[in-house]
Amino acid sequence: MRISPSLVPMLVVALVVLALYWPLMYLANIPVAQRALDTGAALPCQTAFECATQLRSPVLPSPQQLWNGFGNLMFPLNSPNAIPVNAAVTAFETVVGLLLAAVVGFFFAIGMVASRAFERALLPWIVASQTVPIIAIAPMLVVLLGQYGVQGWLPKAIIAAYIAFFPITIGVAKGLKSPDPMALDLMKTYNASHWQTYLKLRFPASVPYLFTAFKVAMTAALIGAIVAEISTISFQGIGKMLAENSRASDVVAMWVIMLSSAVLGILLVALVNWLERLLTPWRRTGGGAAIPAKQARLSRREGVG
Amino acid sequence: MKMTPAHRAVFGGYWLGWLLLGLGFGLLLWFIVAWWDQSEPASSAQKLLIGLGFLGVVWGLARVAQQFVDTSNPVVGFTPAALTLLALVVTAEALLRAYQVPPGLIPTPSRVLSTLLEVRDVLLQDAFQTVVLEALVGYLVGCSLGLLTALLISRYVFLERGLLPYAALFSSIPIVALAPVLVKMIGIDWPSKAVIVAITVFFPMVVNTFRGLTEVSPLSLDLMRSYAAGEVQQYRWLRLPNALPFIFNALKLGTTLAMIGAIVGEFFGANGQGLGFRIQIEAGRFGFDIVWSAIIVASLIGIAWYNLVAWLERRLTGWHVSFR
Amino acid sequence: MMQANTSPESSAKGSKAEAIVSVQGVSMVFPNGTVALKDANLEIAQGEFISLIGPSGCGKTTLLRLLADLIQPSSGTIRIGGKSPEEARKARAYGYVFQAPTLMEWRNVLSNVMLPLEVMNFPVQERRARAERMLALVGLEKFARHYPWQLSGGMQQRVSIARALAFDPQLLFMDEPFGALDEITRENLNLELLRLWRETGKTIIFVTHSIPEAVFLSTRIVVMTPRPGKIETVIPVDLPQPRTFETRETTRFFELATAVREALRKGHGYEVTE
Repeated sequence: MRISPSLVPMLVVALVVLALYWPLMYLANIPVAQRALDTGAALPCQTAFECATQLRSPVLPSPQQLWNGFGNLMFPLNSPNAIPVNAAVTAFETVVGLLLAAVVGFFFAIGMVASRAFERALLPWIVASQTVPIIAIAPMLVVLLGQYGVQGWLPKAIIAAYIAFFPITIGVAKGLKSPDPMALDLMKTYNASHWQTYLKLRFPASVPYLFTAFKVAMTAALIGAIVAEISTISFQGIGKMLAENSRASDVVAMWVIMLSSAVLGILLVALVNWLERLLTPWRRTGGGAAIPAKQARLSRREGVG
Repeated sequence: MKMTPAHRAVFGGYWLGWLLLGLGFGLLLWFIVAWWDQSEPASSAQKLLIGLGFLGVVWGLARVAQQFVDTSNPVVGFTPAALTLLALVVTAEALLRAYQVPPGLIPTPSRVLSTLLEVRDVLLQDAFQTVVLEALVGYLVGCSLGLLTALLISRYVFLERGLLPYAALFSSIPIVALAPVLVKMIGIDWPSKAVIVAITVFFPMVVNTFRGLTEVSPLSLDLMRSYAAGEVQQYRWLRLPNALPFIFNALKLGTTLAMIGAIVGEFFGANGQGLGFRIQIEAGRFGFDIVWSAIIVASLIGIAWYNLVAWLERRLTGWHVSFR
Repeated sequence: MMQANTSPESSAKGSKAEAIVSVQGVSMVFPNGTVALKDANLEIAQGEFISLIGPSGCGKTTLLRLLADLIQPSSGTIRIGGKSPEEARKARAYGYVFQAPTLMEWRNVLSNVMLPLEVMNFPVQERRARAERMLALVGLEKFARHYPWQLSGGMQQRVSIARALAFDPQLLFMDEPFGALDEITRENLNLELLRLWRETGKTIIFVTHSIPEAVFLSTRIVVMTPRPGKIETVIPVDLPQPRTFETRETTRFFELATAVREALRKGHGYEVTE
């Protein structure tokens, strides 16, 4: 059986990491195990070495522990305490938040493109918000919304929307401004109205930018949803599981949840990619540029951005 | 007397906008002063006045902003944005007083400012912990390691094929899930957050630097070859300069990620200090004025840090397309 | 060597028929002080093929954009079919072909050709038929369902030309449409364009910086020179129609090309621009 040559490096690295992991794990866990034994904890092992892989709160869990952990937390698939259901809830909050952000962001983006005054007044704040740890607002917002009776999945979706709003607005605005000056001139020679120019030129041109923004926003929204879940009493969600197991100091469970949330993030971004392929059948896979570079430079005007 | 944009603004044809702006702000400010010590909510008529004041401000702002659109002076050009912020803050103050919203729920801007001044020592200490110890240290370590790793994987294809896919996988772990695990592993003191920050800024740094080092035009490579340039020279004269804009992209992004990483990390365990810790504790106690103060401090530091890196970028890569 | 008729006034008048494009004393000074065009005078009759030729900075593209109402002149008058450029644009009197195909990548070829018909609210039943007819005219009917990125540069420009003709305007303004293509493709497309011109009878105003192209295509050549941009002279082209590949190899072709070149040198069109 021949392994594809491009996979060999990955396999080699994986083996090296695994080989290094075992000694590291023992090195890290043995002191903790020793301390546990010294304090007389009830453990199913005698020596520190044995106990290194049996701890409830190891520094590095053993692969066996991780495997068992997955088994415990993934099944039964429809249990409210298992990962699949909670992941679905968090995913729901994230996606709803993203859609909310898309709707509001779209209007703001149109406003910024249509009116330079609007852009001047708001753009600095939108850019500043990118450099500000917005995530700091999440705990407060959740508590606040709770006080006004907004509970359940809605406040988390709102926070996810709040965090996703800014990358989406900037992305869509960039896309709406992306058409070449020549294309805008073309619409002018047709005596097209502003609305026609938006509908037939700017909107379709902004779709690729929208999807790029979605991918960035999706990751941010996921983090927002999870932080929101942690900041208040939640009954469901990845965040709730994280908080629970963090309190209970069940490190193995936390590792399992961490890896699962990574998978969730990957799946959500893959979803956006799939949608993008579905809705933009004209995307070429490389191939020739529609405008040769020389011509593109000829038509570029200053300040078009 | 020289006709600067400021002069033209006041004495030019935009007087209606400025009038509306002035009237609107005047109305709102009058209300705030009148309601300064009141404990009764305002009547509907007075709330209506606030609404009118706000409308006046917005309408005036819309008209006034037009004339700042074409200026190239950055300070003057910032005026619409500054006025927008002012409008929001003043309106919020008026509305919160009118509805007598309890300060434990939504504190008024004036209260937040006074609290900020009151607790500035504590916040400064928190900021030191969060920004200098956790975010900055993590940022420097993460960025240097990222740079080194990118150099290695750009040089050795084997490493590129072996490590880059894992880097992509690793970077999809949400900070908020990684943080508790690392805090449990390393402890609640500041090193755990520094590690979180280092890991978070590491991946964008690797990816961006790698792109910059390898996305070199084939013609330039041919040129280097024609000069019989060795590997090191190729890096020094071609690949590294080419990579600078990409590196700065990652450095700018990293400032935001570092702040977020440090603050979120503190949500999961801190030793009594730190902006994230402060925010979480006070949010739970409904001490929202302190929460807002901490957020303001974090935001100002975040903006300053980002702009510092951006300034460095302009100094070192002013030749790049995006600055022309 | 035969002298080309280089007197601006007599050549500018063209045929005795009513001029479809009339440019009188037109100047264009940009806000930053650049004099793009100084005191241009030109009369173009219906059915002519006019080339505007010159180096960069001579104002040829500026003149075309002024005719198309994409910019407004600092002074002088322009009349298109008796109307101002703005009225002409609103009456959809001309089609514009840009330097780059400017096709919308999210529409297939047929849909791209239908774009102006949609914007101008042509009856829905007519749109498809017109677009298909235009595609057939440029020889691309088989590619109706393709997307722009699947076509070569030359084919994309042909789609752009079909699009410009879709709503049957009287005039065609073309701004160096074949500039990005290689010489061989360009010569083929020149032949195609002449065929289109014969079959549709439109008036074409064509900007180029290629002397052979100008001589091959035009009924008259407007030579323009820079600093400031101005019309140096107008050279009538008396080569017989229909023109073929062989036309390029005749003595008369060479003489005309030489006349154009000398006019350019006389007006300093050959000095290196700063």
